Amino acid sequence: MSVVSLEFVLPLLVLAAVFFYLPGKTARQIVFSACNLASLFYCFGHISSWIALGIFVLSGYAMALVLARKPSAGILTAYLVVLIAAFLVLKKYVIIQPLLPASVWTYPIETMGLSYLLFRQIHLLVDVMQEQITGLKLCSYLNYQLNLFGFQSGPIQRYQEFQERWSIMRPLLMDRHDVKRAYIRLFVGLIKVPASTYIIQEYVKQRAWFLQPASVTSAGHVATLIRFAEIFYGYPVYLYFNFSGYCDVVISGAALLGIKMPENFDRPYLSRNMIDYWTRFHRSLGFWIRDYLFTPMYKAAATRWPQRGNLLVFPCYFVAFVLAGVWHGSTSNFVVFGVLHGIGVSIVKGWENFIVKRRGRKGLKEYLARQPVRILAIALTLNFVSLTMLFFPPDMNETFRVIHGFIHRMI
Amino acid sequence: MSDIRPDLQEVFRHVFGEGELILRDEMTADDIDGWDSMMTINLMIAIEKKFRIKFAAAEIAGIKADGQNIGTLIQLIQKKTNRQS
Repeated sequence: MSVVSLEFVLPLLVLAAVFFYLPGKTARQIVFSACNLASLFYCFGHISSWIALGIFVLSGYAMALVLARKPSAGILTAYLVVLIAAFLVLKKYVIIQPLLPASVWTYPIETMGLSYLLFRQIHLLVDVMQEQITGLKLCSYLNYQLNLFGFQSGPIQRYQEFQERWSIMRPLLMDRHDVKRAYIRLFVGLIKVPASTYIIQEYVKQRAWFLQPASVTSAGHVATLIRFAEIFYGYPVYLYFNFSGYCDVVISGAALLGIKMPENFDRPYLSRNMIDYWTRFHRSLGFWIRDYLFTPMYKAAATRWPQRGNLLVFPCYFVAFVLAGVWHGSTSNFVVFGVLHGIGVSIVKGWENFIVKRRGRKGLKEYLARQPVRILAIALTLNFVSLTMLFFPPDMNETFRVIHGFIHRMI
Repeated sequence: MSDIRPDLQEVFRHVFGEGELILRDEMTADDIDGWDSMMTINLMIAIEKKFRIKFAAAEIAGIKADGQNIGTLIQLIQKKTNRQS
């Protein structure tokens, strides 16, 4: 079920109007749970999907109970290996398909929301093992994992943030002004998502144009450049409108029911480098990668080899962002996407280290504060991000043909 | 409870390469030049080594969050050193 559909928005508006007239926390929790369950019925039709979802979610709860009693990195690691293997199979990742018989890949299991379930589960289990989450209850765990406002595509909420609101179930928006702003944001989201459809239609049209050699060879340079620019910048614009519109709807919708979801965007195309970009675009994913992938990896490496910290940061960044890219989809184009992001963040870190070495930390601060540097950095980052997004559509052969067609015509 | 400030200040001076740095409880990450995500991790590694403690992923993530400052970091370290002593 799309969050911009009438099936989602109308019940949400009705519920938002009456939710806090329900008497007490328990009644609100029951209604919220019922909504989560109802939204799952829209997402999953086949019985095998329900079984897979049940095993995926409940095994996480069982493991959390085990880790709460016996915090063990070994047990957690073993469980995560199995969990991630199950994830790769369920999502039918191309890279592992040759490893298993063809019959394995024909099962009819829907996997909507699975990636986000995985992120939430890893965070929750690590935090339980490290005693950052205590007294976990099945009811709050299930509602956290199946929260309809983050189930399909995030944002990736932390359990502590969810529990803080779930345990009281009181209004989050304290005055009429806040409530009004939430409704406006919801409607802005409802406009942004359909608007993005127009952008993607133009994008598809221009890609198709580049795939016809006859049309490319007969076109002028300027016309070719404009068409390529529509592809190059079209996808980032589409993605921003589509995803931030979705986030506007779910964040404001959740807020109307007293649940605080994390913000996912902060003017991402004004980022001044690729590290900055990941704190502005899909922020909850960027912070998750930082906290549960990059930090443990770098910390372990730098603790073991303290003299080589400056060098070890590069492979850690690279691995973290390649994995982040691979997570975006099950096809090989996302490996390229991830590798490019890994290269991008590594170059940024290398450049920063170079300036710190030559001018010190104060010198770096002064350098970053210079307006021409800032403008150039933003332009470079925007173009690099746009370049990486050429590899978002799954058909890489088609992408290379588009790039080849453009270069061939321009030279 | 012993005062850990001098030792912590020494760690900060070493990690940030600022020999004159004076820590105050109300200071935040914004008050110290070059305190980015990478430096947070380097700082946490150095503090772990100095005070023989371990930080959780969520604690490292929250060290620069709103409302956090040197005072709250000192409280966190003291809580951990007390638990482990």
